[in-house]
Amino acid sequence: MANVIEVENMSFGYTRDMILENVDFAVEEGDFAVIIGDNGVGKSTMVKLLLGAIRPTKGKISISGKPVTSLSGSGIGYLPQNGGNRAAAFPATCEEIVMSGLYKKIGFMRFPGKAHKEKADSALRSVGMLDKKKELIGNLSGGQQQRIMLARVLAGDPKILILDEPTVGVDAESVDRLLHILHHLNIEKKVTILMVTHDIEKVGPYANRVLCLSEGACREELLPDAQIVHAHTHSHPHGAEHIHCANCEHGSSHGHDAEHCAESSHCGDACGHEHKHDHGKEEK
Amino acid sequence: MPLIFQYEYMQRALFVGLLLSVIVACLGTVMVHKRLSLIGDALSHSSLAGVALGLLLGFNPIVGAMAVCIVSALSIEAIRKKLGNHSELAVAIVMSTGIGLAGVLSGFVRSSADFNSFLFGSIVAISGFEARLVMILSVIVLLAFVLLYKELFYISFDEQAAAISGVPVGFVNAVFTILTAVTVSIAARTVGALIISSLLVVPVAAAMGIAKSYKTTVLWAIFVSTVSTVGGLTLSFYFGLKPGGTIVLLSVVFFLLFRVIGYLREKHSVKKGA
Repeated sequence: MANVIEVENMSFGYTRDMILENVDFAVEEGDFAVIIGDNGVGKSTMVKLLLGAIRPTKGKISISGKPVTSLSGSGIGYLPQNGGNRAAAFPATCEEIVMSGLYKKIGFMRFPGKAHKEKADSALRSVGMLDKKKELIGNLSGGQQQRIMLARVLAGDPKILILDEPTVGVDAESVDRLLHILHHLNIEKKVTILMVTHDIEKVGPYANRVLCLSEGACREELLPDAQIVHAHTHSHPHGAEHIHCANCEHGSSHGHDAEHCAESSHCGDACGHEHKHDHGKEEK
Repeated sequence: MPLIFQYEYMQRALFVGLLLSVIVACLGTVMVHKRLSLIGDALSHSSLAGVALGLLLGFNPIVGAMAVCIVSALSIEAIRKKLGNHSELAVAIVMSTGIGLAGVLSGFVRSSADFNSFLFGSIVAISGFEARLVMILSVIVLLAFVLLYKELFYISFDEQAAAISGVPVGFVNAVFTILTAVTVSIAARTVGALIISSLLVVPVAAAMGIAKSYKTTVLWAIFVSTVSTVGGLTLSFYFGLKPGGTIVLLSVVFFLLFRVIGYLREKHSVKKGA
């Protein structure tokens, strides 16, 4: 599979002190990758860099082979952290919110047509919220608002979906539902997903890659075949195998998995590297 | 024919008032939802510096107000981007500068009556030139608002997501900012600098109490704004009240009324649900 997100030797700092230093990783087409790490290690900054909201101090970021230079949008769908909170105070119907996700399809200074409204309906249906389309988004629960925000992103048919802590402030049932929708998109519609999360226990089973940010580093350790053979593997809760990072200091002496990363919430001290689940997604 | 329509100055006042109330409601809706409710205050106060400059140097005060308003509005946008999490300070900084300048410059203006007419406006004393100016401006603002409705909605809702989707955020914001600045400077002459900021916000706040969508928020805001303007002018004509203040107070009455209606409606739907 081709790399759709590539970060090469990238460093960034808001001041002279670098938050992220010499970060290297790639996300392949069809991946469901998650970025985890302690508070303040630069996860959300990483998202801003990927979106082009801020520019790296050093190094390169490419999306679908093109360098990211601005918030121009290269087929990326973005679901921000607490997106629902912003929506709660906005007096718009769910339909109006989702229609805004069709901007690219409608075009500058043009008016939406019947096909666009049908597309919005279809996006609402895909998140199970079609019956709420005429309701004010502020009248919905946090989980429902997050699903509307996801429908808005999906209306644009993104090939890559970047989500910044989408499960924060959302009840457990809604988190499950959200992850189920994302899983469906990833498997059925081949949407590449990159999610920043603290909730690795919930998200981990759906992901095939876990990138750990620690002390500014997130070096990619795409394991060559030879290493994969020697890597410590164990069954994945949803059928996927977790392949242990051979370079990880936790090493294979104790089987740690995505959940372990969450427990320590830092995976980083020790590994600070990427863990790759060997797919088996179809079994999920 | 009712007495109010028998006077040419009142016909003109009603016509200009109606046009302004529609465009001010449209701009106000975007402003409120961009969380920039106080920008009207900053611009209207800054416009007074332009008025003073015009009166002092002997050119049309409206032109002075327009120039200072545009510079102030663009400064707010520029400062807002630099301040990040404290972006709301941009409005306060520009407003303080505007008030300071207006205060100092007004001290040199010989006719204080001229300057004061811009503070509270004089909608019943506007000239034919000013009426034509308002007409042209209204057409431009309405056209821009309709054509950029989708873009303005998206930017108001989530500026970053809008940029990611390819909305030319910088261009749309610049158009909106300039239109707002020009509207505020012209409205300062008619309803008054101190009142225009209220008219930009209060009808929208009232509309939000009962509207069931963004589109109906815009329509209700226009309704409140126009009814308040026509009602305010009528009341001021028959009861000898100050038009600007009467218009604003009427819109506040709408705000209270709509909030009560919204509250009762919510209570009723909760009961129904239970």
